[in-house]
Amino acid sequence: MKIGLFIPCYVDALYPEVGVASYKLLRALGLDVDYPLNQTCCGQPQANAGFEDMAVSHAEHFEELFREYDYIVGPSASCAAFVRINYPQLLHGKHECESAGKIMDIVEFLHDVLKVESLPGKFPHVVSVHNSCHGVRELGLSSPSERHIEPFSKIKNLLSLVEDITIREPERPDECCGFGGMFSMEEKEVSVKMGQDKLKRHMETGAEYITGPDSSCLMHMQGIAKNGKLPIQFIHIVQILAAGL
Amino acid sequence: MATKHSKAAKQFLRNVQRAEWHDNTLWGVRVKRDRMSRTLPEWEQLREMASAIKKHTLSHLDTYLEQFSSNAQRNGVMVHWAADAEEFNGIVLEILKSHNIRKLVKSKSMLTEECEMNPYLEAHGINVVETDLGERIIQLMDQKPSHIVMPAIHLTQEEVGELFEKELGSEKGNSDPTYLTYCARKSLRNEFLTADAGLTGANFGIADTGEIVICTNEGNADMSTSVPKLHIAAIGIEKIIPDYKSLAVFHRLLARSATGQPTTTFTSHFRQPRPGGEMHIILVDNGRSSMLADNVHWETLKCIRCGACMNTCPVYRRSGGYSYTYFIPGPIGVNLGMARDAKQFSDNVSACSLCCSCENVCPAKVNLSEQIYAWRQSLKDIGRASSVKEAMSLGMKTVFDRPALYNTALKCSPLINAAVSGMGLLSVQLWGKGRDLPEFAKESFQTMWKKGKVK
Amino acid sequence: MTGKENILTKIRDSRREKYPMSSFDELSPVQYDDRLKQFMETVRFVGGDAVLLEPGQDINQLIRSIYPDASLIASSLPYVTASLDPDTVSEASDLNGVDVGVVEGKVAVAENGCIWIPQTMKERAVLFISECLVIIIDRKDIVSNMHQAYERIENPGYGCFLSGPSKTADIAQALVMGAQAARDVTVIIR
Repeated sequence: MKIGLFIPCYVDALYPEVGVASYKLLRALGLDVDYPLNQTCCGQPQANAGFEDMAVSHAEHFEELFREYDYIVGPSASCAAFVRINYPQLLHGKHECESAGKIMDIVEFLHDVLKVESLPGKFPHVVSVHNSCHGVRELGLSSPSERHIEPFSKIKNLLSLVEDITIREPERPDECCGFGGMFSMEEKEVSVKMGQDKLKRHMETGAEYITGPDSSCLMHMQGIAKNGKLPIQFIHIVQILAAGL
Repeated sequence: MATKHSKAAKQFLRNVQRAEWHDNTLWGVRVKRDRMSRTLPEWEQLREMASAIKKHTLSHLDTYLEQFSSNAQRNGVMVHWAADAEEFNGIVLEILKSHNIRKLVKSKSMLTEECEMNPYLEAHGINVVETDLGERIIQLMDQKPSHIVMPAIHLTQEEVGELFEKELGSEKGNSDPTYLTYCARKSLRNEFLTADAGLTGANFGIADTGEIVICTNEGNADMSTSVPKLHIAAIGIEKIIPDYKSLAVFHRLLARSATGQPTTTFTSHFRQPRPGGEMHIILVDNGRSSMLADNVHWETLKCIRCGACMNTCPVYRRSGGYSYTYFIPGPIGVNLGMARDAKQFSDNVSACSLCCSCENVCPAKVNLSEQIYAWRQSLKDIGRASSVKEAMSLGMKTVFDRPALYNTALKCSPLINAAVSGMGLLSVQLWGKGRDLPEFAKESFQTMWKKGKVK
Repeated sequence: MTGKENILTKIRDSRREKYPMSSFDELSPVQYDDRLKQFMETVRFVGGDAVLLEPGQDINQLIRSIYPDASLIASSLPYVTASLDPDTVSEASDLNGVDVGVVEGKVAVAENGCIWIPQTMKERAVLFISECLVIIIDRKDIVSNMHQAYERIENPGYGCFLSGPSKTADIAQALVMGAQAARDVTVIIR
């Protein structure tokens, strides 16, 4: 099984440590992992802003880069969701989209494909889980609070394999943090308010860290926490899962 | 880059206390809805069925409309067809005039809002009295509904108290909701007894029986139609469903989704005119048949106007109904506005973070956020795209299409950090107050990889 | 072309792909082992009250004991002692001022407290205009859910599923009973 590591642009530029942790973890699990060079952006920000046509070339590039891999695994739920759900439509009329069937967010890959049952590390901290919208409602990493289905959380399942961790969830467990790509700029005030409210609920859990599968949401809340000098830290879930490696 | 919605939202958020009350109160309705949906193990199945029934009916709408109208006529009801708002208003006025009606009591109808019927009738000398309490409050205030189910949700009880003091002669300074509700009850009771005609909307039209079904909690639609002899009902053509079997599904979903109640207090089935009375049904198109022809957006017509998408929408809750330029706010309003007139109402499509909560609460499974995404794609063609967003997207495309350029840019990122922190004003303009910009890492992942630092 | 033909033609021209009707076969809606208990609980949950008519108990005495202060009772039911009959009033507005209206329900629904009241009286205003409403049902007529209810009901021209007292939360989302119609609803189960 050949794994192509997908490191989305903003993780690459802002949170390389998340990429490093992803690589280390997958390697530690004995996988053949490669990082194809020349990755850029999946095109989601442009498409969500209304310029889907500008994302087509990114989709084609992406298809090309990851053609030889069995799975494409990346530490960003929203980007994975975009590839899975939107790429077939973007490539419609050009060629069959292969990436959509191979892309996985690292949480679902560990949970559903590798079915990881133990992890080596310890994380003796209280964490509040950030259920990011696309992770919940597009990838199904946890059960959407709106739906009357058996509750589940692949995120919590994985975190609970880490020794000494205390897992919490905020009230309104999957309300949006207000990032939403260019939404955060076009609707600045609403976006900031959503982020402030979300942050408050996370902090009310008594958590030391906010963690989740999507660095973009964490980045948004981090900006607000920094501005308000709030005593809370942010960490991508894969960094916790890779603790001790 | 700011849209009319974002500017109005900014205003709304200035009053933090009120904005938070709005958010918490409507979230409370969402919580009640969740709780109620969980009392039914078959909840998700019902949603699936509701969607299927609507898709079936809409794709056979001509047949069902004909069936509905011929059954209604057989029941002794007069059926009218209105192609647009103007025709609708004309038909209502004609009926009222032919009966010399001076005063009309009416229950809540989003369709009459859509057609701007009240001002039209009032201009022609008809006294129109809204009888839903929320609608009455905003009518007395000369405002528009800010929510389709809770029209006065933007007002405080103190504001209603002051209004009633002026309009209904209630006690000065008394803003107790129970007291104020009883004041309105007394005043409206008098209106019911002295009105010459009642006008209602309709939640459902049943093709199989030719009847209309109206759901209220107050009983005002029934009061409006059981005292006056003349009943006029306005119904959008998309509200037709096949039969009672279908109705059972929607009955179970509507109130649970809307307010978290197991049912509305009154679910009234009007099949014939009351003894000695007269009943008219006006079927209104007003753009619905065009929506049906739209391959991307026709499923918007599945909406049953429960308002659940508003209650769950994190943007609506934090921006209020008046921040939208279309008379229906929230996710469904964004879509309906665009379907009505994309150029005129394009300012609302910014009001969505694409969190997808709306389509997960929608009892008819309207793919609301998917459609907002699709509407965004159409803005460029109609000249309504944000030039700033377009430039940013184009900039991103330019960089991301050229991995080498992207790579070079990354190497300069520590410089960008310094530059951005030196341009405080720009960062506030783009990113807003209350939030710091993220910082670029010293070395990108790909640089580390190339240097063999990723192990 | 008439307005009707215009609209129908536009709909036909849309050439929507045809979707089949939903299947109802796979649905197994909620069923209650004790429908009576569930129904009574739900009626209370929606703000009404439900009482059992014991064998041998006089229904008029029961109504009197629930509403001892009522001076004007309206009903067209032959076995109910009433001072006003919705069948014989000349105008619906003559019923204004009624303290207690008494009517019969035909089907009661345990899941939501709904009771089907077809219009059997000349002036149905009695259902809404009365300050308090008494609805008499037979316990054998309680079904679990709306699917069963809609299979059973007959509509003579007008009928209403009524569940609890008239209510509103339109002022600051504070729940108030008695918005426009009956402030108080009692279901008598015999």
